[in-house]
Amino acid sequence: MIEMKKELPLVFDSFADARKNGFLAVKKIKDSGKGVVGQFCTYTPLEIFMAAGLVSVSLCSTSDETIPDAEKDLPGNLCPLIKSSYGFAVTDKCPYMYFADLVVGETTCDGKVKMYELLAKKKNLHILQLPRNQFTPESKALWRSEIVRLKERVEKDFGVTITDDMLRDAIHKRNEERRLLKELYELSTLCPPPITGLRQLQILFGSQFKFDWKEKTEEIQNAINQIKSGYDAGERPVSIDAPRILITGCPMGGVTEKVVKVIEEAGGVVVAYENCTGAKQMDRQCLEEGDPITNIADHYLQIGCSIMTPNPSRFELLGRLCEQFKVNGVVEMTLQACHTYAVESHTVKKFLEERNIPYLQLETDYGTADIGQLSTRAGAFVEML
Amino acid sequence: MKQITVGIDCGSAACKGVLIKEDSILAVCVKPTGWNPKETARTVFQELLEQTETAEHEIRVAATGYGRVGIDFAHKKITEITCHASGADYLLKGVRTIIDIGGQDSKVISVENGKVLSFQMNDKCAAGTGRFLEMSAHRMGVDLSDFPKLLTEGKRCSLSSMCAVFADSEIVSLLAAGKTREEIAGGIIQSVVTKVMALAGRVGTESPILLTGGLAQMEGIRKELEFQTGCPVNVSQFSRYAGAIGAALKA
Repeated sequence: MIEMKKELPLVFDSFADARKNGFLAVKKIKDSGKGVVGQFCTYTPLEIFMAAGLVSVSLCSTSDETIPDAEKDLPGNLCPLIKSSYGFAVTDKCPYMYFADLVVGETTCDGKVKMYELLAKKKNLHILQLPRNQFTPESKALWRSEIVRLKERVEKDFGVTITDDMLRDAIHKRNEERRLLKELYELSTLCPPPITGLRQLQILFGSQFKFDWKEKTEEIQNAINQIKSGYDAGERPVSIDAPRILITGCPMGGVTEKVVKVIEEAGGVVVAYENCTGAKQMDRQCLEEGDPITNIADHYLQIGCSIMTPNPSRFELLGRLCEQFKVNGVVEMTLQACHTYAVESHTVKKFLEERNIPYLQLETDYGTADIGQLSTRAGAFVEML
Repeated sequence: MKQITVGIDCGSAACKGVLIKEDSILAVCVKPTGWNPKETARTVFQELLEQTETAEHEIRVAATGYGRVGIDFAHKKITEITCHASGADYLLKGVRTIIDIGGQDSKVISVENGKVLSFQMNDKCAAGTGRFLEMSAHRMGVDLSDFPKLLTEGKRCSLSSMCAVFADSEIVSLLAAGKTREEIAGGIIQSVVTKVMALAGRVGTESPILLTGGLAQMEGIRKELEFQTGCPVNVSQFSRYAGAIGAALKA
């Protein structure tokens, strides 16, 4: 069993109040005796941690603050998400990274895989061997065995036993959470949508940082009720004429909100997110009957990330969302040096061309220097719709 | 009486203005943008008014280009891509492809009836832009205006660097290795056009093609574009005003 970290970092006193509060909030969880698991990716089966009574939190960073520190070890021409996340780990500036007793990563993209090797020197790390094919019996068997191995690692590190019933309960709870978040983002199928794309993103992103399941689901339900009653009372925060945009591509949140802002400032509205912050993780329910480990494995393996080859799940979801949300145009956000999404953008472009849906690819990073260029591109795109 | 409109295209290098009445261009004006785009735009606007003896209140103004945000006397702000499409269709009816080489952006726009179908712009990089050409000219001791004099049929050497900063040091090495300025100038033009062709490849080029932007009058660029696209490339005497014309038409 590992020893859980409960002390504040040495640099704590130098932090601004907001960051100090973040640290104190996680410390409170730790002081209550709960272990914290950090994950990077939508492929991580959170049910395992939930079943073990652990708190899990996303470690994908969204700010350029720690990139200079990361670049002491990592190359400059690397995805900002990878650099920033690693940077927070080496500087002790992120409470979640700092307090994570176990960090779980997957063999997704090459940049992350090699970054994890360096991160392992700093954190207690577990790597899941994720296959790049979702359909062969061998891939499925490998992934199932990896879920078992993760369960055993969690049991050993935290000194707990995870039973099938605990897993079934966790699957049920996570399904409820997915269903609610899906209900929330599907409100934007209305014309005009009842919320801006920025608000939708902030709710989806923010839900990753709520640690009490009951509170979290109640909050989402309240948000849904509030939005619905506002709309019924005639509130129209979005113009009926605003072109309806779907965003696809790399995960979003934090500084990359700039992409949503430039689209909405130009008069468009983002109605759906086909990415890991949005529909990719909420769209489907995990099977509840039968062997929970197999259900979890099958559920997560079907996520349509560009690291899969081929990647039909993404296109099935993308096509379906475009119809469901009556989309006028698709904007793909790729982070600098994200090779898999950048290369797959060609396939996305062709896929949308066949459906007569205009498409714009925007490459960006975690800086703000490109706001002018982004707003010209997004503005012209909205004007042409 | 038909409305008089003004379009101001405030780019990174030059601020262009056009005054249009009944679909005819009555006045044009261009000034270096300088450090204060807002003030420069105002000066360009005043000059258009003086040239045509028009009063400000009779006019609707639309602004485009990077400086558009700061132009407070504009009734409308439109991106330069939409404006270029409509301005280019005015200059060359039925135009299908616009190649615009500007100060900090180069772009290729696919159009039909003056409407944008799709577009590609250079990424966060100066290669393939007017700024790159200007920097390279200075490295060889000439102003951008004198640069075309160096261009000589058949004289070129190849520049391998796609990055403006690396190309700059490559030019230094080429000069040191005894290459002539004429050869290097040919290489620079080729490099700018190659970068633009990468954008064109993503959009697809259909004839007729119109070249716009501040470098449109540089014959060497037009010829190299014709060579690399294999299609005739048109230029209008008002090519650099395409964005401003589009803005005026949409004001």
